[in-house]
Amino acid sequence: MARFLRAVSNPIAAVGESVIDMATHLGAVVTLLLRVIRSLFPPRFDMPEFWRNLYKMGNQSVPIVMLTAFFVGGIMVVQSAVFVKRFQATSLLGWGAGYSVLREVGPILIGLMFSGRVGSNNTAELGTMVVTEQIDGLRALSIDPMRYLIVPRVLAMVIMLFLLTVLGDLVALFGAMLFGNLIIGLEFGVFYSGLVNSIGIGDLMHGLIKSLTFGLIIALTSCHFGLNVRGGAVGVGRSVNAAVVGSALGIVMSDYFLTFLLT
Amino acid sequence: MIRLEDVHKYWDVPVLQGVDLRLDKGVVWGLIGPAASGKSVLLKTVCGLEKPTYGRVLVDQSDITEYGESEMMETRRKFGMLFQNNALFDFMTVGENVAFPLVRAGDIAEAEIAERVADRLKAVGLSGSESKMPNELSGGMRKRVGIARATIASPPIVVYDEPTAGLDPVTTSKIYDLLNGIQDESRATVMAVSSDIIALRTFVERIAMIYQGRLIYEGPESELDDCEDPVVHQFIRGELEGPL
Amino acid sequence: MSDKPHMPGLEAPPGFPATVPYRVGGMVLGMFDALREFQRVLRGTIRYSIWGKRPKGEVLNQMYQVGNRSLLFVCVTLGCLGMVLVYQILLQVNKITGDTSQVGAEFIKGMVHAFVPSLTAMMIATRVGAGIAAEIGSMMVTEQVDALRMCGVEPIEYLIAPRFIAALFMTVVLTIIALAIAVGAGALMAWGSFGVNPTVFLSFDKVTIGDMVTGITKAVCFGAAIPVVSGYCGLTTRGGSEGVGSATTRAVINSSLAVIVLDFILSALAYFFLQSRGL
Repeated sequence: MARFLRAVSNPIAAVGESVIDMATHLGAVVTLLLRVIRSLFPPRFDMPEFWRNLYKMGNQSVPIVMLTAFFVGGIMVVQSAVFVKRFQATSLLGWGAGYSVLREVGPILIGLMFSGRVGSNNTAELGTMVVTEQIDGLRALSIDPMRYLIVPRVLAMVIMLFLLTVLGDLVALFGAMLFGNLIIGLEFGVFYSGLVNSIGIGDLMHGLIKSLTFGLIIALTSCHFGLNVRGGAVGVGRSVNAAVVGSALGIVMSDYFLTFLLT
Repeated sequence: MIRLEDVHKYWDVPVLQGVDLRLDKGVVWGLIGPAASGKSVLLKTVCGLEKPTYGRVLVDQSDITEYGESEMMETRRKFGMLFQNNALFDFMTVGENVAFPLVRAGDIAEAEIAERVADRLKAVGLSGSESKMPNELSGGMRKRVGIARATIASPPIVVYDEPTAGLDPVTTSKIYDLLNGIQDESRATVMAVSSDIIALRTFVERIAMIYQGRLIYEGPESELDDCEDPVVHQFIRGELEGPL
Repeated sequence: MSDKPHMPGLEAPPGFPATVPYRVGGMVLGMFDALREFQRVLRGTIRYSIWGKRPKGEVLNQMYQVGNRSLLFVCVTLGCLGMVLVYQILLQVNKITGDTSQVGAEFIKGMVHAFVPSLTAMMIATRVGAGIAAEIGSMMVTEQVDALRMCGVEPIEYLIAPRFIAALFMTVVLTIIALAIAVGAGALMAWGSFGVNPTVFLSFDKVTIGDMVTGITKAVCFGAAIPVVSGYCGLTTRGGSEGVGSATTRAVINSSLAVIVLDFILSALAYFFLQSRGL
């Protein structure tokens, strides 16, 4: 209650506080990025950890991404069904679905789900390791946490999200094709030709570059918040919360900038 | 009166394997055992916070394993519990924490509640700390707030889960002193779990030891030293050699 | 002792193929248990929201937590997404027809009944879902929830119901605010990059009653689903800081999934009952 009253009576301070907060985290994330890059030259990081993370993250996220993508395809069909019927523009559905999935909806929604599943899990794991003093333990054994823990995870997350975006795009388009048939009776062939005739490699690349960027953002943000957990179990929960929010912000804002840069 | 009949509890691994217990009114009962032997689970099963996988738990002749949540709530009014980590509500002040069991009963005037809270805090030696937050207090002080909260509604059954864990010897003595004082006044039925066997034995009348999910000793505290079971023998003397 | 199976008498036969039905059976039983627990939380939440006792001022406090603290986040994300969407659409329209006059009206229509409720809810699921699960999960792990039950308080009534009411209300409010931001940002983008006159762009002609009903209904359903799902994840936390992390993860994912699936169902319903009749 006190916090409520304080914030209402001083909104400018509250906004200022948020901005400083965000800037601090942004700076820390960039610092982490530089440290990761430095650890890549020479590329000496823990390979077993890398493969283990790749496997684990894939395992965790494939079902959820496929499920999401499938329904997203369906949602897009339902939303555009009215247009298609009105203008009898059946060939446009393939084009519309392809365009939006490949360029925007695919990378963003798959990125968000990936952040929610793998990103938050990553933060929780690293946070628990901090709380149980395992990170200090690693340092005491003169193992560099960067090369052993962080770099494999960052690489695994970037690569995994890239692959997942490709997979998810396909599933979403398939879902759109399926629901197009079920809901507005669109022939598979019409959808397919509409798709193939108007979408080019450029659109696919547009989306994939975005997904690489999102992957990097999610990886760095989740590692940063995981490593900076304070205060036991409660702190872990707060860090996961912050990581997910930070990743979502990062995804959306970078999408904005990339959309211009890539056209 | 509390009874457990052949209580089993499984969580992927067996935790309690056939516990039989009979606890009469007004008895102060203690429970000791190695780490992770099921002591806290046993306490929570008695309070109805955990349901046994099978077996019966009777509180005042009624089998609480058959109860739904709302009936359970009624039965829980008979209990006051001190949790292992205090479980103080960290978003409330000390005063609100201690007042909580009374506030939820719903039918006591605010002024009277405040009076009883002040009274309780005085009894545990923390007069005047109503407006502090739990994270401002030391471990020993938090325990005392926990004890105040557990006993403020004068429940007929009081449960203490590790009342002196992590406290120094002097504070430990003070806490048991306090518990004895409260017991003299209220004559409640008490169940206490502790790893500090020596201090616990000054407080309880009957004592039990749990090992691998079973009570391997249950009887008067005075006869514990005479027990012939090698596990009990090794445990209470803290010896290195033996089955443990 | 320690290698005894789950229940006495139900030993899993050795060998991989033979354990499969045992494991699948275990999973199915686990899912039934989870579903039963979830519907108990759902029913309890609704019941206590209408009839329960609440700590004074808790609903207001929760509204602040949900609303004010997500406001900036929602505005930034929806603003950016609105601008990106307008950009992509105008890019294509310019290439194909060159007629940008209709874009504003159609864009706003799409925002109202589809885009804004869904994306606002996704953002809220992320922020609020994680928050609720983290708070309740931490309380589980520090035994505060057990302490509540011992003091005769039902955790669903005390913890989840206030958050439910607050989230329901605030989701609708945030959706409306997000709509204004997204449309405004979109108009700015259309004017700045494509020279579309804001008065032309900001045309509400095509927004129908059906659109608004759809949008509000979606916001209400999403706002109801998120606190129940994340509250459930919080109350089923087990085990230390890993448990809290796991609960928070599950809450974000499950709330997001719930939003997507509900979105699909509600969009389909809206299509069949409203839009096909020209509403």
